[in-house]
Amino acid sequence: MKGRILRSLGSAAALALVVAGAPLLAQGGTAGPNDADLMNDAASTGDVLTYGMGPQAQRFSTLKQIDTSNVAKLVPAFASSLGGEKQRGQEAQPIVYDGTIYVTGSYSRVFAFDARTGEEKWQYDARLPEAIMPCCDVVNRGAAIYGDKIIFATLDARIVALNRNTGKVVWNKQIADYKEGYSATAAPIIVKGMVITGNSGGEFGVVGAVEARDVNTGELIWHRPVIEGHMGTLRGKDNGITGKTNASWQGDLWKTGGGATWLGGTYDPETNLLFFGTGNPAPWNSHLRPGDNLYTSSTLAIDPDTGLIKWHYQTTPHDGWDFDGVNEFIPFDATIKGKPMKLGAKADRNGYFYILDRTNGKFISASKFVMQTTWADGINPKTGRPNYIEAGRPPAPGTEKGKPVFASPSFLGGKNWMPMAYSHDTGLFYIPSNDWGMDIWNEGIAYKKGAAYLGAGFTIKPIADDHIGVLRAMDPRTGKIMWEYKNKAPLWGGVLTTGGNLVFTGTPEGYLKAFDAKTGQELWKFQTGSGVVGSPVTWEQDGEQYVAVMSGWGGAVPLWGGEVAKSFKDINQGGALWVFKLAK
Amino acid sequence: MLSRRALLQGAGAMAVAGAFPALAPNPAGAAPLARVRELGTLRVAVYRDNRPWSWEKDGKLVGIDVDLAKALASKLNLRADVAQITADESVDDDLRNAVWKGGLLGFMPADIMLHIPFDRTFAARNDQVAIIAPYYRETFQFAGRHDDIDCDAPPVQWKGKRLAAELDSIPDFYLIGAFGGALSKDVTHYMSGAEAVNAMIDGKADGVLASRAQIEAVLHERGAGGVARRKMPLPAFTSAGWDIGLAVKENSRTLGDAIEEIMSGMVSSGEMQALFAAHGVTYMAPVAAG
Repeated sequence: MKGRILRSLGSAAALALVVAGAPLLAQGGTAGPNDADLMNDAASTGDVLTYGMGPQAQRFSTLKQIDTSNVAKLVPAFASSLGGEKQRGQEAQPIVYDGTIYVTGSYSRVFAFDARTGEEKWQYDARLPEAIMPCCDVVNRGAAIYGDKIIFATLDARIVALNRNTGKVVWNKQIADYKEGYSATAAPIIVKGMVITGNSGGEFGVVGAVEARDVNTGELIWHRPVIEGHMGTLRGKDNGITGKTNASWQGDLWKTGGGATWLGGTYDPETNLLFFGTGNPAPWNSHLRPGDNLYTSSTLAIDPDTGLIKWHYQTTPHDGWDFDGVNEFIPFDATIKGKPMKLGAKADRNGYFYILDRTNGKFISASKFVMQTTWADGINPKTGRPNYIEAGRPPAPGTEKGKPVFASPSFLGGKNWMPMAYSHDTGLFYIPSNDWGMDIWNEGIAYKKGAAYLGAGFTIKPIADDHIGVLRAMDPRTGKIMWEYKNKAPLWGGVLTTGGNLVFTGTPEGYLKAFDAKTGQELWKFQTGSGVVGSPVTWEQDGEQYVAVMSGWGGAVPLWGGEVAKSFKDINQGGALWVFKLAK
Repeated sequence: MLSRRALLQGAGAMAVAGAFPALAPNPAGAAPLARVRELGTLRVAVYRDNRPWSWEKDGKLVGIDVDLAKALASKLNLRADVAQITADESVDDDLRNAVWKGGLLGFMPADIMLHIPFDRTFAARNDQVAIIAPYYRETFQFAGRHDDIDCDAPPVQWKGKRLAAELDSIPDFYLIGAFGGALSKDVTHYMSGAEAVNAMIDGKADGVLASRAQIEAVLHERGAGGVARRKMPLPAFTSAGWDIGLAVKENSRTLGDAIEEIMSGMVSSGEMQALFAAHGVTYMAPVAAG
């Protein structure tokens, strides 16, 4: 404690927070957002303080200055370049506070831009070791803000807190060892003065975990592995094993069971639960690991005060298709069969849109939101488990060499990392999805690390003539798709919906587009110069409503070739923040 | 052959002096080799954590491939720049990262990469590189402690014995997957084959399935006795072994030719065998060379 106060003496703003706990003005700015501000982010329209525009990550703004009648007059206010030779995928969601827009960029960079002029205030470049092997491009999905700090995760599995006025490092903690294959790309969330993060990693030897750290020091408060058999900790002491050892795994495979929590999580203040999704199990081939393999490909509800798992729901038990269950679980309330309920929704990689009771994880419904699911014929409403189609499961390694199995969705998912949005006005979820399948076969000749290996070959294939990407409006009460917008290239960016009856999302072709939230009619588009794979935000500043999005083509899609690549092969790289407002 | 080697050596001598007239007869084809000579450094990529081939021992990069890289550079009158590359999901990816394109985080492409499978099908789909100069025949083997396990028994009889394998490898898939998964609960996974062999020597496992080089090198280093190796093939085992060579960029065949010359010279002089023996590994001629 003494150490913490001494360390804080260097910063007047931090001292003000620790000692007075009141929003005092420091040099050049306010004391910064506190816990209450973060929890109120969905209602506060003058800023964007959290990833998801609110801890529930509904990505809904009540702002309605820009609406269906005038969105056609949306024009750029400015664009700010991320510059340099470092381009590639820009998947970040901007944070907006006190006249500054904070964005993270590819290669673990952070930028602070003046929210009125677009001029750069500072830039932070993490020094990355050459030996890291990011699986899916060098992306970052956004930062968190708290007090005088901007906090983000790096490709070499560190969490870095920067002073938001200067960009100088306040603390920098390793969360896992990149040499063991760990990484971090998700935006952290901040709950009750704790930075809550997941981890990313390759397929082998990695174990997913959720961790809480003191936002002021970065010191670990609790650690919760998501694979059964692993011990969790709370304030340096053992805090119970996750699940029951060897209940759903054989032998010692749970020790390296996968389940990376690479997309981060959401938080519901009402039930005081964190919701984190978990990745696919390891090894990749399901025949080598009989059992459900808990808690991979699941959503976990975690108590933020202790790090204990309160409930789990596994979307793909015994996953054999790389259907990570990492997708965001968005808390919302709705009346189902005449009964008002506290619910949560998740559009899974496996192609089904799940509604659960968020107080206990009980299954309510699951509806297909993609063209085709070859791996399962629906979800059994009694058990909440998939009706598997066994012929659709990829074969055991070394067997049936060269004979492909067709699986849809492809392993990139009916929906990948890109977050959906939920409108309070229409009651609809807007899901950025993709219709594609894959041929998967046992590779006759494969080598790994210079040694013979039994690998699988994949080709991702379109399954429709006219599109891969589809923005879909899903009614959570009925499971019906109310409208859809089809896009030639795969959709890979997040969605925003507003009180102006609008839905915004970007396309790899370079457009930020606006749609009528009720009908799906396209009302506006703007070419940003490179593919849009970031998540748009909106806020009000000086009496005007602004919309911002990152442009910069990349992410996992361009790493895969084949038929699918035809839809995006001519898209150029970039790296810019675009900010829009209505023409006067 | 002889004349070409003489020419190369002549070029080497000239390179030291800073000129290249000796290569005038074939200027176009000589360019990549000439460029390497001009720079004075042979950049060789090897795998990180790939014992006994290339790994860090007490902070120093050592191993058979490391010694081979140094020998090749020295015979070309070049300085060796041995760079470690972290293995990606497949060797195809490694060739992109280490040889023909470079890494996402700035790994500078190497002139050659060692420990690349020499296999026609594999080479055909990696046409950005030339895979040349096979220098070893690798196979997986089963080894165990005499007193604890019968190495030559049908594998299903190993049920209940403690078996060790490298995570995510053919030995792993075989032991946990074969015979309807009969042995799956008996397998302990290690992060490398060498670790798995060490576990067997330390008495933490009764038997281990690993590469021959991993077994021989660790037994040699530990001076371990009482260990037997299976003599007959494993039933339904998917790998009969593979040749190991090296890769150069597709347009660097002149460099590749020079290296092939050097390597065959090292085998006929016995230098190659000695280089392997220093690590406790018996040199096995690649099948492709026979």
